[in-house]
Amino acid sequence: MPRSLLTIGATLALIGLAVGLPIGLVVLGVLRWGDDVLFFLFAEVMIGAGLLVVTMRDIIRCGLAMIVCFGALAGIYVIAGAPLVAAAQVLIYIGAISVLILFAIMLTQTKDAPTSLVFQTQSLGAGIAAIVLAVIIGLTVGSTDWPDVGARIHTATDHLAEVLFNEYVLPFEIVSVLLLAAVIGGVFLAKREEGGPP
Amino acid sequence: MNETLAAALPVLAAAAEGGAEAGTGGLIGLLTALVLVLPLIGFVVTAAVGRRLDREAHLIPVGVVVLSWALAMVVSYAALSGGLGADGHRVELYEWIPAGDFTVTAGLFVDQLTAVLLIVVTTVGMLVHVYSIGYMAHDPGYWRFFAYLNLFMFSMLLLVLADNWLVVFVAWELVGLSSYLLIGFWYRRSSAALASKKAFIVNRVGDVGFALGIIAIWVNTGTLDVRASMASLIGEGGAPVIPVAVVALLLFAGAVGKSAQFPLHVWLPDAMEGPTPVSALIHAATMVNAGVYLVARANPIFAAAPGVLVFVAATGIFTAILAASIAMTQTDIKRVLAYSTLSQLGYMFAALGVGAFTAAIFHLLAQGFTKGLLFLASGSVIHAVHDEQDMRRMGGLRKKIPHTYWTMLIGALAITGIPPLAAFFSKDEILAESFKFGFGWVWAIGVLVAVLTAFYMFRLIGLTFWGESRVDSHVEPRIHESPPVMVGPLWLLAIPTIVLGAALALPFGDGPIIHWLEPIFAGAAEALHLAHAEFALFGIDGVLILVSVAAAAIGIAVGWWLFGVELLALRRRPRPETVRSLSARLPFLYRASLNKWWFDELYDLLFIRIGGRVADAIWWFDREVVDGTVNAVGTLTRGSGSRLARVQTGRVQNYALGIALGLIVMAASYLILAGRPA
Amino acid sequence: MSDSLDAYLVLAGLLFAIGTFGFLARRNAISMLMSIELMLNAVNLAIIGFGSFIPSLSADGSVIAIMVMAVAAAEATVGLAIVIAIYRNRKTPLVDEYDAMRR
Repeated sequence: MPRSLLTIGATLALIGLAVGLPIGLVVLGVLRWGDDVLFFLFAEVMIGAGLLVVTMRDIIRCGLAMIVCFGALAGIYVIAGAPLVAAAQVLIYIGAISVLILFAIMLTQTKDAPTSLVFQTQSLGAGIAAIVLAVIIGLTVGSTDWPDVGARIHTATDHLAEVLFNEYVLPFEIVSVLLLAAVIGGVFLAKREEGGPP
Repeated sequence: MNETLAAALPVLAAAAEGGAEAGTGGLIGLLTALVLVLPLIGFVVTAAVGRRLDREAHLIPVGVVVLSWALAMVVSYAALSGGLGADGHRVELYEWIPAGDFTVTAGLFVDQLTAVLLIVVTTVGMLVHVYSIGYMAHDPGYWRFFAYLNLFMFSMLLLVLADNWLVVFVAWELVGLSSYLLIGFWYRRSSAALASKKAFIVNRVGDVGFALGIIAIWVNTGTLDVRASMASLIGEGGAPVIPVAVVALLLFAGAVGKSAQFPLHVWLPDAMEGPTPVSALIHAATMVNAGVYLVARANPIFAAAPGVLVFVAATGIFTAILAASIAMTQTDIKRVLAYSTLSQLGYMFAALGVGAFTAAIFHLLAQGFTKGLLFLASGSVIHAVHDEQDMRRMGGLRKKIPHTYWTMLIGALAITGIPPLAAFFSKDEILAESFKFGFGWVWAIGVLVAVLTAFYMFRLIGLTFWGESRVDSHVEPRIHESPPVMVGPLWLLAIPTIVLGAALALPFGDGPIIHWLEPIFAGAAEALHLAHAEFALFGIDGVLILVSVAAAAIGIAVGWWLFGVELLALRRRPRPETVRSLSARLPFLYRASLNKWWFDELYDLLFIRIGGRVADAIWWFDREVVDGTVNAVGTLTRGSGSRLARVQTGRVQNYALGIALGLIVMAASYLILAGRPA
Repeated sequence: MSDSLDAYLVLAGLLFAIGTFGFLARRNAISMLMSIELMLNAVNLAIIGFGSFIPSLSADGSVIAIMVMAVAAAEATVGLAIVIAIYRNRKTPLVDEYDAMRR
């Protein structure tokens, strides 16, 4: 009983923080109302869902968290001015890959899944590596003076189509062949043996 | 005969002179080489076909040795009569080691000293060979014995004739080898095998010194030729790299080993395990004299280091009295003679030490014949009582083996120094010279040793030949005189024992032996400032002669008193009870003498036990530390290898972590390095 | 904040780090694949970010992003097929029990 209270309390606190922080930042003047707040919200959801993906015990819940993460990411794409990519993100990642992953999870479930260790023995080293990596990237990005940076651009779909089917038609076709090969390979790899157990 | 010799002499002299000028060849050179090579041929042939010849196996070795003796007599005559010139005659054989700086030429060299040694070696050798035909007649290893004897003759002749230190050393070792083979001739007897090993090992100790001495000579002079190196060593004014005294000491170490002086004397009594002809030839007349010969040959080196000479004299005379004291209580007839040999060798070294080189060589010559005679006679005695060597089980043999008795008596009288037999002249000369050159202590101890010598020799005669027979009752009826092939050599040796002394030493102070050897030792005598005073028969010399004769007489008298006498008209029965009471009154001395002053036990303790412990410790070190280090390297490599292999877990995520860490390190270092101001 | 390129890039970096942690630390093979997808998405975000702030790259950014998505889909397909095949063999989806290549 007290444990579930703790969980509920923690969740409520987290939600409160997630909502309150952007509002507070707007009030402080760091964020502008509109694009900035939305961006911040989407970023929060994305990072939060990502953390849930890598830390939750139940793997199906991890998959669901991943879907949420992809969704938030699509939102950020829209804010960045690439609506087609956002649509593709939703279609492909959420619509295909996530479903595929959920199917695979269901096919490889073991009975003792909830009780076994979540993390490997080297998780401490992994954590340190990840933090160091994030710091390095942050430092690199912060200390670089990006040339040719202007205001945010909105990519028009027809301009994108023009570029895609004129300059990048070859990669486009090759990618479709690649997808075909991948699908055939996947089907073959996962095929059940003749007369084998189900 | 004389005309032939007289006719031959100029021819020989001319040939020798011609030969000496040419350096090689010449008749004398050829004869000398033959003297050396014939026994070698005898050895090879006998070793090859001796087993098949069996009882006839003695023909070739004995024939070869007789031939060698004849040639040696010719060569010696040429040398001693001055036919070879003042510097002797050199025969170059071949260049043995042509190695640039270190060139060794093997060659032979004959001078008066060599001639004297040749006489002893070949004569006694020939007679021992003939004697062995009878003595070893029943032995299954008959052919082997003669092969070894020939090998020994070759080695000894090579030693005496060699003119290069390295060849001398090779011959030295070969002689040791022959001695080992002959002492252990009856190899199935464990005592014989042990004795031969002991002889070889103790000899080896001395040989180390000898080898170091030869190396020192080479370091100092750059040549190993005997005469050239000695001239170079003494001649130059500059200080040699290694002091001459050290060189002399090292050479003396070799002599101590080979001639069984204290402290390396322990092998000679045990060497009596060999057959009696071996004892006669090797351990009485020839091999043990090699040490004396060495010091005599190297006399310039020793003369340049007078301190070492005093040491030599001290060692010699100490050995003499030590051995004499032990001989007084020994019960084995051959052991008594062995200790007597040690004692007489001590006399020779004492003589060399005081500077009386000629006297030492003269004593060597006389002793060679005398001791050879005594040993062969004792062999005859042993043969007569069917291989019994303990004197307590002999006695009363005088009438039964007359030839043996009379020859042995002659030998005993000679060795005690009764004039006019051989050893009297030589021993007296040694004692006289030591007194006159100022070594009074050597003289005093020498006189004491003379008393003891006389005593134990007549103890031996008394126990063996006089008194009642204590022989075992089975053996008694079968006592018989030895065959002529054994008795003949006995009488042939008795002749020089009687006359050689007088022939060579008279007139006093001016005899032939002095004329022969004086030139060789002239340089040494000058270096030591030894004045050769005129012989004064009615002055100091006469007194000294009287003293030594008196000493011998006292010893004989005491011996007769205790052990009886049956000589000519003198009759006295032995008194064993007096002997027992006397020895009871001096228990420590008696036991010390009987136990050889416990030297064997001391060496056993020092070298076998303590040395064994040291060897064990070193073995532990080798096992644990040296091997341990090597093993540790291997173990370390293996262990670290297996521990490092644990990185290979087979899990993808572990490898991926490694990749991530590597990436981070690279990125971080790039960041840091690129961020630095250039 | 949405006007600065750095924000998008820092975000992408964060997501990449999260994906790395998940890849190195989770035991389930499919969790590892999900983490890979997160990392790929982070890269995508970075590319879109560059595309939206650099005028000459605006269309190229989107094209590249679409290509990346397609390849990611192909890779996810094959990867999951392999996981299923291994699962059928080893009866466990946990990668730290796939250690047949141990020394």
